[in-house]
Amino acid sequence: MHASVGDRIIVKGHRVGEHDRDCEVLEVRGTEGGPPYVVRWGDSGHETLFFPGSDAVVQHFEHSGSE
Amino acid sequence: MRTIDTLRRSGIAVSPDRTIRDAAEVMDAAGVGSLAVTEGEQLLGIVTDRDLVRRALARGLPPDARVDSVMTTPVVTIDAEADLHDAFALFRRHAVRRLAVVDGRRFVGMVTIDDLLIDLASDLADLARPITAEVIFGHRDAGVPAPG
Repeated sequence: MHASVGDRIIVKGHRVGEHDRDCEVLEVRGTEGGPPYVVRWGDSGHETLFFPGSDAVVQHFEHSGSE
Repeated sequence: MRTIDTLRRSGIAVSPDRTIRDAAEVMDAAGVGSLAVTEGEQLLGIVTDRDLVRRALARGLPPDARVDSVMTTPVVTIDAEADLHDAFALFRRHAVRRLAVVDGRRFVGMVTIDDLLIDLASDLADLARPITAEVIFGHRDAGVPAPG
């Protein structure tokens, strides 16, 4: 997995009916965008270290150009 | 298969000075039942939702108690490059439901009995499919030579 600061990581629910979780990448600790990442959890605002498994996908932050 | 390739769930780590209230809120936000407790990326212990109930709530610890006061340490670990069969051996030898996956002393994830059971159930279903078809649809003999 590769991520950059500002990307959003979606963690798929593990049980039927369980909703997905999301967090924002605040810092990349690995080399070349690799894990671990310091993330902020959307639901609580807590910051943790995050080590992605196969349940996680990255939504890359799109840098919009100036208008 | 390498253990690192079987990590179904993402691993989440908190520092030892976080409170048990923080730990509970992180578990809720991330949808997990266990957290690694790390200093940087060095694994110190594991705290589970069960630990929060039995070692904190049942003993009347305040919500601002440190998470390292209720964590389990030392932790049963498996090397990220180890064969998955080694994980089965560790689960057999130790009364644990999860193993911390490490690269040296660096925490990289968690493998649980639940995850392995799901993978095994899927493998068993694949193996059972031809047998099930044979039982339901009858035995198929292909290419039996006609009597001369």
